[in-house]
Amino acid sequence: MTASAGAPSRGTPGGGWRRRLRRATPYLLLAPGILWLLIFFIVPSIQMFLTSVSSGSIDSGFKLTFSSKAYETAFTKFPRQLTNSLVYGGIATILTFLIGFPVAYTIAFRGGRYKNILLFLVIAPFFTSFLIRTISWKILLNDTGPLLGPLKDLHIVPDSFGLLFTPLAVVAGITYNFLPFMILPLYVALEKIDPRLIEAANDLYASHWGAFRRVTFPLALPGVFAGSILTFIPALGDWVNAELLGNTQTKMIGNVIQDRFISQGDYPVAAALSFILMAGILVTVSLYGRFLGTEQLTG
Amino acid sequence: MAEQPQRLNPDLTRRRFLQGTAFAGVAAFLAACTGTGESGAPSGAASANIPTPPPAPSATASVAPTPKPSPTGPLHWAQWPAYIDLSGKAYDTGVYTPGSSPSLEEFKKKYKVDVSYEEKIEANEDFYATIQQQLVAGLPTGWDMITVTDWLAAKIISKGWAEKLDQGDLPNCTANLRDALKGQVWDPTNDYHYPWQSGMTGIGYNKASLKKVGKAEPKSLADLYALPPERVTFLNEKRDTFGLGLLKLGIDPDPTKVTADDLQKVHDDIKPLADAGLRFVGNEYLQDFASKKTWAAMTWSGDLASSGAEDDVWVAPTEGAMIWTDNLVIPKGATNKYTAELMMNFCYDPKIAAQIANYVYYVSPVKGAEVEIAKLDPEAAKNPLLFPPADVVAKQKNFQFLSDELEAKMNELYSDLSGT
Repeated sequence: MTASAGAPSRGTPGGGWRRRLRRATPYLLLAPGILWLLIFFIVPSIQMFLTSVSSGSIDSGFKLTFSSKAYETAFTKFPRQLTNSLVYGGIATILTFLIGFPVAYTIAFRGGRYKNILLFLVIAPFFTSFLIRTISWKILLNDTGPLLGPLKDLHIVPDSFGLLFTPLAVVAGITYNFLPFMILPLYVALEKIDPRLIEAANDLYASHWGAFRRVTFPLALPGVFAGSILTFIPALGDWVNAELLGNTQTKMIGNVIQDRFISQGDYPVAAALSFILMAGILVTVSLYGRFLGTEQLTG
Repeated sequence: MAEQPQRLNPDLTRRRFLQGTAFAGVAAFLAACTGTGESGAPSGAASANIPTPPPAPSATASVAPTPKPSPTGPLHWAQWPAYIDLSGKAYDTGVYTPGSSPSLEEFKKKYKVDVSYEEKIEANEDFYATIQQQLVAGLPTGWDMITVTDWLAAKIISKGWAEKLDQGDLPNCTANLRDALKGQVWDPTNDYHYPWQSGMTGIGYNKASLKKVGKAEPKSLADLYALPPERVTFLNEKRDTFGLGLLKLGIDPDPTKVTADDLQKVHDDIKPLADAGLRFVGNEYLQDFASKKTWAAMTWSGDLASSGAEDDVWVAPTEGAMIWTDNLVIPKGATNKYTAELMMNFCYDPKIAAQIANYVYYVSPVKGAEVEIAKLDPEAAKNPLLFPPADVVAKQKNFQFLSDELEAKMNELYSDLSGT
């Protein structure tokens, strides 16, 4: 059917409205999604932006003054926390990739009839709440817990050695909590690879490693991209791990936002920080996508 | 004929789509614009930094007593951990589970109403953040009764966010409230609150952990500061941490005399410790003591005695201790106000008050509790946590009511210390 420039149809009695309905169908299907985005994303984002340029306090109320003081504070006062977020988030993402890729590869190529069970095992921790799982790390990393206790009994580490409330604990917590977010997209991408392509590579005298490097891994790149942004973005804004497993030097930008918003009621600075975080993530993700090459990512 | 790829709508060009989106965005912007700029509830005038209660409504004529309703439930009570007597398995864990508190069970049996006792409060500010929006908007908070420290109780009452108590339902309270706690500037006639427990902030430590590493027991704040920082915690209750910090520097923590410079000195004193691993916690220190991660900390007087191990000790520092009171307040919009009043009244029965004090080891606000507690446990009369000796009382300081500027400075310095 050619797309005519809105000429009314003839011949079909009452067919005009049917035609208009058919044309409007895509918009009607999009409407709930757009409405959702509008109410729960666009309006709050605008509200947050307006809060970030307001001044005042909880007790005396906030007035829209279009002052940039909150942004000044946000940009200058938290270098350590921003660095912590980037470093811990980055390291955790790399670690989840190093741990998750072999797991996803094994499940996809060697899983056989255990694939479903293995995938279930990957997701099973999610049935418990995020908070409980992070608190359980406090027990695991405890000075006399299941990890350090035996090591101390064997005198491999000194008695005063502690893992809890250190950057290592925070990174470990973030890595653990976001591992499934890396494994599952990688698995999906690897699963889609036609094994005959690898066979073809082998037929063309590629070694196992060569075939992996030149066939499997490039085909898995969409999964790598999805997994890394699904891990890095939440890790950047995470505050639970730093709160429970870290100390005052390991606080991340999420902790600052939480403290400013809840404990201090300093809404403008909290909103400004949230905006900066959002903007930073948008820029990073688009650069990352460009770096990996968009043709490869959309398959 | 060559098939054109089906387009969404040939009339909808990219330009028109962007125009439409921009229009929608501006509309949303305007809508949001009118939403902001609303101020919060106007606060009453505060003289000498202490918030005053809202003006009493004129001509409250209630000649005929209103017929007493039967208590509705369940009573939703927000509480701190380790603040009610426990028995059975809960006695060992120190965590309340439904059915584990003898006092609450007696109340439930007597009034045939359920009690939802939730140990949800670990820090005043964090709890306040969970109810503040509803209170400002005039919505129910979901709580029938909350237990908050002096400064927060005063704030809530001064903003008109507390339900006025019907003294007719509270004969025990009016009769048995200790004189020392009567006549608070922020609610002189107890129209909006009744104290729950009074307590002190001082030094808590574990004897065994310190002995193992050959460190002396910290009896003064200077000793506490000298311990390895990663084994020490201070409180995220800023008034307590800064109050004790001032005492350590020999500055009298009188809110009317303390200056921003004094607070800065406290900050500079604590900063090296914070950089070296000191943490700021609320009631979580109970778990840290249990796991032997923390050797010594600034703690609240009753907690370690009720929920700690055998060798956890609390002492009032030689420089002095902070004193405060946690108060029962009924927030506006409580659905079971009458039941809450019944609970207040019930807890002011000297027998019940003694039962609770005997477990929590805080200072009971109820007259006659000391007589009853001697019947339960003769040793209790000599317990310095329940009945502080005169020399400790002489050095107790109250650092609850700060001016707005001082509070803002304290918040800023604390943020810097806690790393956020």
